[in-house]
Amino acid sequence: MAMSVIRKFSLLRIGLRSEFLHLRCASGLPDVLTRSYSKYPPSYVEPLYTQKSQEEAVEVGALEELKFKPVKAAYVFQNNSVFHDPLVVKFSQHIMKAGQRSLARELMVQTFEQIKRIQIKKKIEAESPEEGEMIEANPLKIFNQAVENCRPVLHLVPVKRGGITYKVPVPLTEKRSYFVAIRWLKEAGREKFRTVHFPEKMAKELIDAANNEGRVVKKKQDLHRQCEANRAYAHYRWS
Amino acid sequence: MSSSSLLKIFFSRSAKGTYSHSFPGLWYRAVTISVNSFCTTLSSAVDETTEDTALERSKTMSKAMRAYLERAKAHDKFIAEQAVEYEIGMRHLANIMGEDPETFTTEDRDRSIAYLFPSGLFEPRARPLMKHPMELFPKRKAAEFDESGRPFHTLFYTGRPAYYQVLHDITGVIMELDHFSSRMSRLNVSKDQEKSLNLGGSEWISKSELETKIIEPVKDDDYAFFIKSMNRMVNHPYSYRAEDFIMTYRKEVKTGQATQEIPKLMYTSDGVPYMTAYGGRKTARANVTVYGHGSGKITINGEDILYFSHIQEREQVVFPLHFSGLLGHVDVVAEVEGGGTTGKAGAIRFALSLALRPFLDSEVVEKMRLAGLLTRDPRVRERKKPGQKGARAKFTWKKR
Repeated sequence: MAMSVIRKFSLLRIGLRSEFLHLRCASGLPDVLTRSYSKYPPSYVEPLYTQKSQEEAVEVGALEELKFKPVKAAYVFQNNSVFHDPLVVKFSQHIMKAGQRSLARELMVQTFEQIKRIQIKKKIEAESPEEGEMIEANPLKIFNQAVENCRPVLHLVPVKRGGITYKVPVPLTEKRSYFVAIRWLKEAGREKFRTVHFPEKMAKELIDAANNEGRVVKKKQDLHRQCEANRAYAHYRWS
Repeated sequence: MSSSSLLKIFFSRSAKGTYSHSFPGLWYRAVTISVNSFCTTLSSAVDETTEDTALERSKTMSKAMRAYLERAKAHDKFIAEQAVEYEIGMRHLANIMGEDPETFTTEDRDRSIAYLFPSGLFEPRARPLMKHPMELFPKRKAAEFDESGRPFHTLFYTGRPAYYQVLHDITGVIMELDHFSSRMSRLNVSKDQEKSLNLGGSEWISKSELETKIIEPVKDDDYAFFIKSMNRMVNHPYSYRAEDFIMTYRKEVKTGQATQEIPKLMYTSDGVPYMTAYGGRKTARANVTVYGHGSGKITINGEDILYFSHIQEREQVVFPLHFSGLLGHVDVVAEVEGGGTTGKAGAIRFALSLALRPFLDSEVVEKMRLAGLLTRDPRVRERKKPGQKGARAKFTWKKR
């Protein structure tokens, strides 16, 4: 039934405009014709916009294949700068509201500044110099560590069996787990008093998460605990 | 047929793609110019064809068969008439233009039509044209069955014999490859790793190309299945043995550096090498000149890089220079107009990348292509649609 609906809809779209008709094979479904809304034809590949990524492609031997493929134009948020970090860009895009990219970027910069200030202060106030050495003061490292610590492995999906909805633990894909971690961190950063600025709160949350404590890490652990409790329903995933 | 309709010029290609088999003079819009009537003898040659003996014989023929024969005959007659008219028209056209009808070529014809019927229409296909009826009217399949109504092709009753023949061929080739591979494994011969199929630089023919290739309409789902089958063949370990077959369904793609011709460097009177390029993004347009032996000075509309207040735009401008390693070695002068700041920066980035090419090795240029610097960003704002909130967004809808 679902299949026929998809087919019907896709054919309907084809009838409207067929110039961007591309073949796509959705996972788990048979080949379905869908209309891609992309300006680029499906033969275009994503750009390898850093020297590093191109060197990696050479090592893997993927360059031969790309030789004849047309490449999409690099996006505005991509560049070869040493300060470029894809995860930071992703995070700032999640922070962004109403397309204010420069504001989102500014908030990211301020967050990193706050992290640096807090960590330097901790270093200074440390009881012994050895303890001070241990404190990480690189905001980029703290940020990456925080996101890694917040990534869940499993989540709960409602599955209806015999009129009862069970919460079934299902593993997350890598991409999805990053998305969930970023969303949780962002929500935690926005939950604050009016007088507190976003970068201040975000910096605190990130430092907490990097130390494997704080609300977001607790949220992840709660989810994992719930998944563990519902392990008896795991078989509903396939039966 | 009257001899008055001699020079026939079509004012649009409305006839193209029509599969109708009745041929009154109404279904195309034509302008006839009566020139003179000396060709009566020529045109009457096709008027009366000899009495048909086939119809005599056809008492045992099925109705469908007879109908087909009549249709085919009518079509052939129509094409023959049109061809004669075309020939006469060509002679008249040559006479009108004061040229020799014997040596009047198709190029002369097109030139004359463009001269006699000047058109301001943008679309070339909408302009007046005169063509041989064989080019003008869609090709039709020859009879697929003999006079007794017996089809020639075994797959005739599938309704799409040519398409299913292609699938049949694919299966045959795959079976052959399987057979070969099992023979190799029986003989304990492992596959020669050096022999493999290289499909780089080519892609599958499109649905419409497949249709013209087999002269048969192909459905979307059938085309998808065809591609799936061909991919299965390509993934076979011994697919290189079927290269000839595979290549008949592939076409060349013109990408990579081969298609992009890099212009030669120019020199100022002082002997400084420079290159100019034009680029755009969204509605912004930029003209960028790159001077060699420079110190890394960037000028944008008379200002320096601080012309852009946001860091992202500055990064975009410097991106090609940094990527190619020429940052600090060349001077850049950019003139940019139109669009917003992002568009302006993107336009400069593209024009700058194009202008940098002659300063670099072909390897680095290829790297820049892979980095997406030598592609014009085709994405533009999509228009709002009437009856909905935006380009894609709809108004909230309540039943009551």
